[in-house]
Amino acid sequence: MTAFDTLIAHERRRQRRGLWRASGYAAIVAIASVMLLGLSGWFITAAAVAGLAGTIAAQGFNYMLPSAGIRLLAILRTAGRYGERLASHEAAFGALARIRPALFLGLARGPVEHALALTRGEATARIVQDVNVVEAEFVRLSAVPSMIAASASGMLLCALRGLRPAVALLLCLAGLLTLATVLARRLEAPGREVQRAGGALKDAFAGVADAAADLRCYGVEAQAMAAVEACSRRLAKAQRAQAGVAGCFEFIQAVMLGVAGIATLLLAAPAGAPIAALCALAAVMTIDGAGPVLRSLGQRSAMREATARLDDLLPGAVAEDDAVAIDAAPSIDLLGAHVPAGARVALIGASGTGKTTLVEQLLGLRAGKPGTAAIDGRDIAGIPLAVRRATFGWAPQDAALLAGTIRDNLALGDPLADDAAMWAALADVALGDVIAALLKGLDSWIGEHGVRLSGGERRRLALARAYLVRAPWLVLDEPTEGLDADTEHCVGERLCARLARTGQGLVMVSHRPSMVALCDRHIVVAPDPVVIVALPTDTVPQRRRSSRD
Amino acid sequence: MNSIAKDRTLASRAYLKGVVADGGGVRLSTSLLLLDTVAAIGFAAGLAGGVVAVPQGVDAMLPWALLAGASAVGRGACAMLAARVGASGAYRAKTQLRQRIVDAALHRAPGSDATTGTLMSAAVDEVDAMDGYVSRFLPARMAASIAPLIVLAATAIASPIAVAILVATVFPFLAAMILAGGAAADESRRQFLALARLSGLFADRIGALPVVLAFRAEEREAAALGDAAEDLARRTMRVLRVAFLSSGALEFFAALSVALVAVYAGFNLLGLLPFPVPEKLDLGRAFFVLALAPEFYAPMRRLAAAYHDRQAAETAAERLAAVEKARVAPLPVAPVWSSAAPAIRFESVSIRYDGQDRAAVSDVSLEVRAGTIVALVGPSGSGKSSLLHLLLGLAPLSGGRISIGDHDLAEIGSLAPIAAWMGQSPLILPGTIGSNIALADPSASVERIAEVARIAGLSPMLLARGGLGAVIDARGSGLSGGERRRIALARVLLKPAPVVLLDEPTAHLDAPSEAHLIAAIARACTGRTTIIATHSARLAAIADVVIDLGARA
Repeated sequence: MTAFDTLIAHERRRQRRGLWRASGYAAIVAIASVMLLGLSGWFITAAAVAGLAGTIAAQGFNYMLPSAGIRLLAILRTAGRYGERLASHEAAFGALARIRPALFLGLARGPVEHALALTRGEATARIVQDVNVVEAEFVRLSAVPSMIAASASGMLLCALRGLRPAVALLLCLAGLLTLATVLARRLEAPGREVQRAGGALKDAFAGVADAAADLRCYGVEAQAMAAVEACSRRLAKAQRAQAGVAGCFEFIQAVMLGVAGIATLLLAAPAGAPIAALCALAAVMTIDGAGPVLRSLGQRSAMREATARLDDLLPGAVAEDDAVAIDAAPSIDLLGAHVPAGARVALIGASGTGKTTLVEQLLGLRAGKPGTAAIDGRDIAGIPLAVRRATFGWAPQDAALLAGTIRDNLALGDPLADDAAMWAALADVALGDVIAALLKGLDSWIGEHGVRLSGGERRRLALARAYLVRAPWLVLDEPTEGLDADTEHCVGERLCARLARTGQGLVMVSHRPSMVALCDRHIVVAPDPVVIVALPTDTVPQRRRSSRD
Repeated sequence: MNSIAKDRTLASRAYLKGVVADGGGVRLSTSLLLLDTVAAIGFAAGLAGGVVAVPQGVDAMLPWALLAGASAVGRGACAMLAARVGASGAYRAKTQLRQRIVDAALHRAPGSDATTGTLMSAAVDEVDAMDGYVSRFLPARMAASIAPLIVLAATAIASPIAVAILVATVFPFLAAMILAGGAAADESRRQFLALARLSGLFADRIGALPVVLAFRAEEREAAALGDAAEDLARRTMRVLRVAFLSSGALEFFAALSVALVAVYAGFNLLGLLPFPVPEKLDLGRAFFVLALAPEFYAPMRRLAAAYHDRQAAETAAERLAAVEKARVAPLPVAPVWSSAAPAIRFESVSIRYDGQDRAAVSDVSLEVRAGTIVALVGPSGSGKSSLLHLLLGLAPLSGGRISIGDHDLAEIGSLAPIAAWMGQSPLILPGTIGSNIALADPSASVERIAEVARIAGLSPMLLARGGLGAVIDARGSGLSGGERRRIALARVLLKPAPVVLLDEPTAHLDAPSEAHLIAAIARACTGRTTIIATHSARLAAIADVVIDLGARA
C-alpha cells in the first residue's frame, strides 16, 4: 500500500460513520426507487384487471395499502436522497480538508530536494485538480452499497414470479458490470491523460508567462503561444475523449436497461399482467441503480492517475535518528573552525563562494559533505534535522515572507510570542514605527512575497522573525543589504544590545564593513574550502563603501 | 440581489455569450436530447403495449418488446451522441477562449497586478469551467423548454386529465427551481472565490517551503492550512445544504406528481374516483401515462443539476474578462533604428505598479554611455529588474523620462526590437536546441548557430545530447539551470542587437559555472550598450560602471 493509499484509508476510517450513513441512505433510495416503480406498475395493472372484472371486484380491491405505499415510497426516496447527498459530501469534505494539509506535511517531511524540485504549476495542479478527483470519488463511495440494495430488492420483487426473471435480471446486471469493467480497462488512456495534460499545460503556461522579457526582445510571442496552444489542445482533446468514454457508459446502461425490462416482462408474463408489470419496472430501476457505479468505473483511470501523482508528492518521511541531547548553548564548528557558544562570527568571501550554501547546509535545506559543520562537536550529518533547525534562528537572504499578515510572519519565529514580544522584535530592527503607522498594525496584510513592503522593510521583517526564535544561535544572511547607513547603524547597535541580553551566538553573512565589525571573528569562505580565521577587521575585503560610511 | 451584483451577472452572461459565439454545437446536442425524449415515449409505449399484451401470450408481446428495445437503444445512442457533441462544442469553446486568454496574458499592460499564479489559474482552471457550461448547461436549458411539451403532447393522446395533473404540479416545481437557482447563487459565487484563495494559499506555502522547514513550522502551517480548508468545507456544506434542499424539493414534487398520476390512473381504472371525469382509461393508456410521467420532469431536473456549471462559468467569466481587459494594444509607432549602439539616459525615473502603495523605483537618474557596460547592484526589491522591464515596456513609467539615442521611450513604448535579453528563467520552447537558439534570429545559418553555441559554452552539453538537433520536449527535457542560461546567452550572441539587457544572468549557479559564464558574457557584450542587474560581485566586475541602487534607498 502506498503512502497516499494509507492516508486515504485512514481518512476513510475516520469518516466511516458519515460513509456508513451515506451508504444507508443510498440503500434506502435504491430500494424505494425500485419498489416505487414496481408497486405503481402492479397497482395500475391490478386495478385495471379488477376494474374489468366488475364493480364488486373493484370494491373488493384493496386500494388503500398500495396507494399509501406509493406515496410513502415517494417521500422516502426524496428524503433518503437528501440525506445521502448531505452525508456523503460531509464525509468527503471532512476527509479532503485533512488530506490537503496532510499532503503538504508529507511534502515538507520528505527529502528537501524533492519538495524544492516541484514546479509551481505541477504543485498547484496536484493540490487542486488531482485532489478534486479524489474528492469526487469519496462522494461516490456509497455507489456500491446503493447498487447492491437496488439489485437485492429488484431481484426479490422479480422472484415473486419465480427464479427465471430474477436470474435474468442478475445476468443483465452482471453483464453490464462486466462490459463496463472491460470498457473501463480499454478506455483508460483519456482519464490518465487529462490529469497529466493539466499539469503539463500549467507548467508550459508558467514557463511562458515568466519569460515576458524574452518574448518581447525576440518577438516570439507567436511561437510561445503555439507551444501553450499545443498543450491546451492536448488537454482539451483528452477531456473530449473522456466525455466520449462517459457517453459509452451511458449507452451500455441504456441498452441494458431496455434488455432487462423486456426480458423480465417476457419471462414473468405467465404470472399475469400485474406481476409482469411489477417485474419489468423493478428490473428497469435496478439497472438504473447501477448508474453511480458505472460513473465511478468511468472515472477509474483518472482516479488512479491522480492517486499516483499525489502519492508522488509523499516520498516518505526522511528517516531520523532519535533525538540527540544538545547542550542548551552549544558550540559550533564551521568549515573546521571552532566557534564557542555565544561568539559572533562573520562569514565573508566573494559572491558565489558558498556562504549562503553553507548556511542552508546548517539548516538541512541542502545536502552537505560530512565535515562541513558540527554542533556541540558532533558532525551535523548525524544530528536530526529538528535539532539542527532548533539550534538556529535564520534570516534568509531573500526575505522569504509568507502571504499573510505581519503577525503571521512573526509567529513563524515563535508561535507563542505575544504582542509585546513582537513589537520589541520590530523595534530592534527599526521597523516598529513603520508598522505602528499602518492602519491595522500587526494585522496588516503584506501581500504575496510581502509586495506591499519595500525591499528593506521585507528584509527587516525577516530579521525580526529570526530574533523571535528561541534558538542559541542567530544565522543572519546579508541582514542589512538595501538599508541606508543610518538604519544599518541602528539595526547593528540594537542587534549588539539584543545579543548581550539573550546571550545568543551570531553567524552573519555580510559584505557590509560596519556589520562585519560587530563580529569578533571572521571565517573566509573560499570556493575550495580553504579556511582562514582572521581576527583584525582590516583584512576583510571591502567591496564598496557607502558614501556616509 | 442588489444592483451591483445584477450588473456583474449581466456582464458575465454577455461575456459567456461571446465564448460560445459559434453556437458550441448546442443546437445539435439539444436536438439529440429532444430525440431522447421521443425515444422515451417509444419505450413507455412499448412497455405499456407489452403489459397489455400479456394475456395474449408472448407472440403478441414481441412487437411491443421490439419497440421498447429499439427505443432503449435509441435513448442510449442519443445520450452518447449528445455527450460527444457537447464535448466537441466545449472543446472548441475552451481552446479558442484559452488562446485569447494566453494572448492577453502575454500582452498584459505594464504594471498590472496579475501574478503568474493568478494568470495560470485563469488560463487553465477558469477556462476549464466553460466545459460544463457549454456541454451540459446550454443544451439542458434549451431542451428544458421544449422536451416537457413533447411529453405533454404524448400524454394528452392517452389521458388529458393526467396532463392537467402534470401541469398543475409544475408550478410548485418551478418555484422550487427558481429558489434553488437564486438562493445558492451568491453563496456559491463566494464559495468559488474562497476555493481559489485556498489554492493560492497552498501554492504560497509550497513556495515558501524552505522557510517553513527552517522554522520547524511545517506542523503549524499544515494545521493552519487544515483550519482554512476545514472552514471552507463548513462553508461549502452550508451552500450545499441549500442546494440539496432545493433539489430535494424538486425531486419531491416530481415524485409527488408521479404518485398522483399513478393513484389517479388506478382509481380511474377501478371506477372508484369520487368525482366524475370525462375519460375512461384502459390499462394500456394508464400504464403509458405512468411510465411517461417521470420523463416530464427529467429535462427540468437535468437543468437544475447543471445550474452549478453555470455558476462556475459566470464566476470564471468575471475574472477572465478582467484578464482580457488588461491586454494592451501594441504601439503603432515603429521607429527606425540605426545599428549603432545608442546611449540610454534615465532622468528621475519612477515606477509604480497598480494596486501598490509605494513605488518600486523612485527618482532614479543614470546614464549608460553608448557601447559601455553598466552593472546595477543592490538588494532584491531595489528595482533593478523593474528598470530593465521598463525599457522593454513591461513596467509602467510613472514619472521621469528615458531617452534611448534620439528616441523618447514614452513615444516608442519599448526598445525590444534592438535589444537582446537574458534572464533567470529563460524561455525554452519545445523543438530542438538549435531551434531554441534560433528564436533570436530565425534567418541565422546553421554554422552561425553552431558558433554562438560554442562561444556560449554549450559544447559539452551538445556532445552529450547529440548536437543542435537534439529534441527538447515541452518540459525542457531536463535542462539544468546553467544549460538554460547558456542557451539564453547564445541567443544574446546571435541577435545582432546594439543593446543587451541581462537580469541576474548568473543567479543560483555554482562558482566554476559562474566564472565560465561571466567570461562568455563579457565577450558577448563587447561594443554593445549593456545593462546588467546582478547580485554577483564577480559579474559586476566586468562592468565599466557599477551603480548601487540599494545605497540610495
